[in-house]
Amino acid sequence: MITNFILRALDGKITLTVAILLVVAALVPALNLLTTPDSALHIPTYAMSLMGKYLCYALLALALDLVWGYCGILSLGHGAFFALGGYAMGMYLMRQIGSRGVYGNPELPDFMVFLNWKELPWFWYGFDWFPFAMLMVLVVPGLLAFVFGWFAFRSRVNGVYLSIITQAMTYALMLAFFRNDMGFGGNNGLTDFKDILGFPVQADGTRAVLFAMSAIMLSLCLLVASAITHSKFGKVLVGVRDAESRVRFLGFRVENIKLFTFVVSAMFAGIAGALFVPQVGIINPGEFAPANSIEVVVWTAVGGRGTLIGPIIGAILVNAGKSFFTGAFPEIWLFALGGLFIAVTLFLPKGIVGTIRQGWTSRKTLRAAADQEKGRGTALLPQAAE
Amino acid sequence: MRITSLFAAFFALLLVSLAAPSFAQQPVDPKPLIDQLAKANFSQAEDLIGKMAAAGDARVVPVLQAFTDGDLYVRKTDNLVFIGKTAGNGFELVEPLTGESAGQVAKNAVTKIKVNNSLRRAIRSAMGGLTLLSPDRSVRLQAADAVMRSPSSENLELIEAALAKETDAEVKARMEEARAVSVLSSDRSVEEKRDAIQTIKDLGGRNALGILNTISGSIDPALTADVEAAVAALQSEQQLWDMAQNIWYGLSLGSVLLLAAIGLAITFGVMGIINMAHGEMVMLGAYSTFVVQQVIRDSAPALFEWSLAIALPVAFLVTGAVGFLIERGVIRFLYGRPLETLLATWGVSLILQQAIRSIFGPTNQEVGNPSWMTGSFPLGGMTITWNRMWIILFSLSIFFALLFLMKKSAYGLNMRAVTQNRRMASSMGIRTPWVDALTFALGSGIAGIAGVALSQIDNVSPNLGQSYIIDSFMVVVFGGVGNLWGTLVGALSLGVLNKFLEPSVGAVLGKILVLVLIILFIQKRPRGLFALKGRAVEA
Amino acid sequence: MTTIAETRTKSLLYLDNVSVSFDGFKALNALSFVVEPGELRAIIGPNGAGKTTMMDIITGKTRPDTGAVLFEDSVDLTKKDEADISQLGIGRKFQKPTVFESHTVWDNLELALNRKRGVFATLFYTLTPEDQKRIEEILTTIRLTHRRGELAANLSHGQKQWLEIGMLLAQEPKLLLVDEPVAGMTDAETAETAILLKEIAKTRSVVVVEHDMGFIRDLGVKVTCLAEGSVLAEGSIDFVSSDPKVIENYLGR
Ligand SMILES: Nc1ncnc2c1ncn2[C@@H]1O[C@H](COP(=O)(O)OP(=O)(O)O)[C@@H](O)[C@H]1O
Ligand SMILES: [Mg+2]
Repeated sequence: MITNFILRALDGKITLTVAILLVVAALVPALNLLTTPDSALHIPTYAMSLMGKYLCYALLALALDLVWGYCGILSLGHGAFFALGGYAMGMYLMRQIGSRGVYGNPELPDFMVFLNWKELPWFWYGFDWFPFAMLMVLVVPGLLAFVFGWFAFRSRVNGVYLSIITQAMTYALMLAFFRNDMGFGGNNGLTDFKDILGFPVQADGTRAVLFAMSAIMLSLCLLVASAITHSKFGKVLVGVRDAESRVRFLGFRVENIKLFTFVVSAMFAGIAGALFVPQVGIINPGEFAPANSIEVVVWTAVGGRGTLIGPIIGAILVNAGKSFFTGAFPEIWLFALGGLFIAVTLFLPKGIVGTIRQGWTSRKTLRAAADQEKGRGTALLPQAAE
Repeated sequence: MRITSLFAAFFALLLVSLAAPSFAQQPVDPKPLIDQLAKANFSQAEDLIGKMAAAGDARVVPVLQAFTDGDLYVRKTDNLVFIGKTAGNGFELVEPLTGESAGQVAKNAVTKIKVNNSLRRAIRSAMGGLTLLSPDRSVRLQAADAVMRSPSSENLELIEAALAKETDAEVKARMEEARAVSVLSSDRSVEEKRDAIQTIKDLGGRNALGILNTISGSIDPALTADVEAAVAALQSEQQLWDMAQNIWYGLSLGSVLLLAAIGLAITFGVMGIINMAHGEMVMLGAYSTFVVQQVIRDSAPALFEWSLAIALPVAFLVTGAVGFLIERGVIRFLYGRPLETLLATWGVSLILQQAIRSIFGPTNQEVGNPSWMTGSFPLGGMTITWNRMWIILFSLSIFFALLFLMKKSAYGLNMRAVTQNRRMASSMGIRTPWVDALTFALGSGIAGIAGVALSQIDNVSPNLGQSYIIDSFMVVVFGGVGNLWGTLVGALSLGVLNKFLEPSVGAVLGKILVLVLIILFIQKRPRGLFALKGRAVEA
Repeated sequence: MTTIAETRTKSLLYLDNVSVSFDGFKALNALSFVVEPGELRAIIGPNGAGKTTMMDIITGKTRPDTGAVLFEDSVDLTKKDEADISQLGIGRKFQKPTVFESHTVWDNLELALNRKRGVFATLFYTLTPEDQKRIEEILTTIRLTHRRGELAANLSHGQKQWLEIGMLLAQEPKLLLVDEPVAGMTDAETAETAILLKEIAKTRSVVVVEHDMGFIRDLGVKVTCLAEGSVLAEGSIDFVSSDPKVIENYLGR
């Protein structure tokens, strides 16, 4: 049963993508660490970190695609789950600083000393222990998604309304995290990390491992997503997207289906955030900005929602474009991004991958139809009469 | 209506006070009295001071002040009295009444007029009396206020004397209050003091509360109960006013929300278009105001007071035109695909923001306030600023104008027909694409007008729209999509709720709580306060 | 041995005095209506008579303001939601054909199959040979075997209606509610659909809403005529169609 579930995940394209990701996970760190800077094949550390960042974004886009592309829930708040995962990781990293902070307080992070706090707030307990922090990377976004989804799906808030309240959710969280008394560093967020599991975060070796982890986690999540979408559950999911009431009248509990998917997706986003933070070295409330979540939607739309590969390609392409534009023509970037939004919705509603796939299947059906005509000349007639 | 009657009252008051007869005393020239001080002994001087006070000429006030300060001198050559100020080795002499300089003299050319404590007391009451008796009503008002601030039993008689002569109603009332305050610190009878407490209580406001609180410690034990009762009454009155002020702030915030949301109530509420570029329409309206003001400053500064009135149609046309283009260029291809519209219009919003940033720069632009937009006036225990006042009125008038347009005009009928059943409407000969484009342009234009108003209270920067977009959607969704009244009630109630949460939890947390409440509310009523029912909305 | 309870279990579906109004408009007005086990029942009535609303109430989509709705004389349907009611064994075909357009015909049926419907049960579900056989049977019944691998979106209108009926069969309901199944069908398709429904009704109760009098005649079953939210007449098609009230309200002179 379980093996079936896992085996189903491995369709051709997914296997290929996973293979590529794993090769990248090995190759890029190798080229970074084992070649000298003057070598033509050398990948500088900053480039590796940048690519690592793209992979985290790809995972975030994959998470969004699971709920949007497959279940029809357009979440405009996925940045919140990403940021929460990031904060969980950031809290672990803060605790690792120990007495090396500016104030040298072994117990309290610098910002707490600065605010004159005397002791660690309860919700920081346990974050110095890596396994606990990693658990929280999953649990915190998952729990928020669960509570939010429990209410929203049960009362059948959907479509645009759901999008708007998810946006309100991330906006409210942003406002909350900006407050100093929340105990997450306020405006400045968490930064100045020193090491992770005892390795300095800035070191090339650590960065290489973080990069590899990003690629591996992305492949893992891709496999999970693939297993889900290829199962009967995945078909129900698409059913919910296309004809929700039909699914209900077939006896499925739509709210549970949505809730499960939403929670899984939030956890993916949390993982992405957790991998993102040590690679960029900071997490602050700006990550909760509604605009960020909307940007994720573009990546997914560009790549092709409702396909698993699409969001990965979309996230990487759009962000590579962003890096290029903001470096070369900073003025133009927002024009380009805005134009991309419009162009994709108007001319490429299925995204890059979706459009390619559509072209491919329509050729296949044409060929199949042609074969059928040759073989059984009359078989098409009843259809033609329709 | 309210405001005109307020104006009327204000003007009436002004007229009455202008027409009030000033003090009809024979002007007695105080100059000889002053000069007599040169040869007077203490008791004669006291007499002279009394006469000066009785003459009721406020010009002697500086002389008396100089007298107490020991700055009054007699010039030996002619025995005339001057105010002297140390200058170099000698004195600079000043004519006592006119304040004109009478030249410098050596120290030994003058003698100082001596003053003792009993004279000082006489001078103090004379001064109080003089200002209380001044023919200038604003001086009298100030004097009454001064007495109220530093009550003393000496002033009591003065003020009672002044009261006896006072005819101006407002000044009289103020003096009554000053008298009451003075009574409390005098050794008058308990009954009189009780009346005084009543008078102060009737005065109301924070001042009265402050006065009663300060005297409550030292008051005659027989009156403690009266003071406490008065304090309690004042406190509860104060709470009411605070509440009213809070409601006012809430309405003011609500009207801002209403302004921001009202265009969206059309594009989103009526047409069902998730217009994420709505905030940018507001922003364009604000920039239109800025440009209009720039042009006026450069070419016709006299028109500045009218700049907002001129900016309104300009902003409406500019944003309406942009809206029209957006509808024709993008949105019309996306009807029936709300989520895609959301993405495309978000793209539009990015482009508009960046365009404005490229043209005007990323910094805040200075948009001026015409004089009628500045300042404030008191209303009972509240303070009302003119700009908030106008914005509330403005947002309500836009609301009702729009309501009228939608419900009563032929265009509104067409619009509702199209949004309710496109196919049917088009088969009845309504040009649906045209109606769509115009409706979207109307919603955008209204957002632009809102921008004109919001430019008066917010920073005009390319990010202006971003700060309103979420709030606007919240208002429309909370109020109930497709229902203009819902938007009105939604905006005002969210504004008031916000302001009521603010004092206890702070602004940011208040806002967060409101967001959370809306999210919870939508779970209960997914279609908002005033939900449309029926099958059409379920599809 | 026959217990009292069994003798009382006569009706499969029992609506008593059901009323519902939308914004003051009474869509159903004290409607009472009984379906026996194994019965095939036709419902006719003018547009807006409340036929679809009645189905909404039976399937839990709409809650009645007053009245009782009982299934198998014991289950109060007004307390259940759509998924519960479907799992109790009431299937519903919508007026507008509703199938999963981006799934193949086969997948549509697989999803409808009456198996465990929980999240984890569906995640780990594998198609068993017997499920496969069942789907193939249904494909034959609804005459779509040759298009099993095709996306439902590519089916004709009539075929979508059949696919939807097929999905209901896969659900194995005790009671099937069918809303205007032949709307938009050709005459040949209509006749086939009548045969199909009669076939289905052999093993379960079916309630069909239809406007097409010819189709109703083909079915040859007891007819209920609704108007303005309550029952106008009930009986054989000839009896009902000669009722003066029915002629006035529905058939026209
Ligand atoms: N959810 C609803 N909201 C408002 N009115 C409704 C709703 N459902 C049905 N109605 C109204 O109830 C009446 C009965 O409709 P319906 O049951 O669809 O009739 P029929 O199916 O017999 O043609 C119609 O007038 C319809 O407009
Ligand atoms: Mg119907």
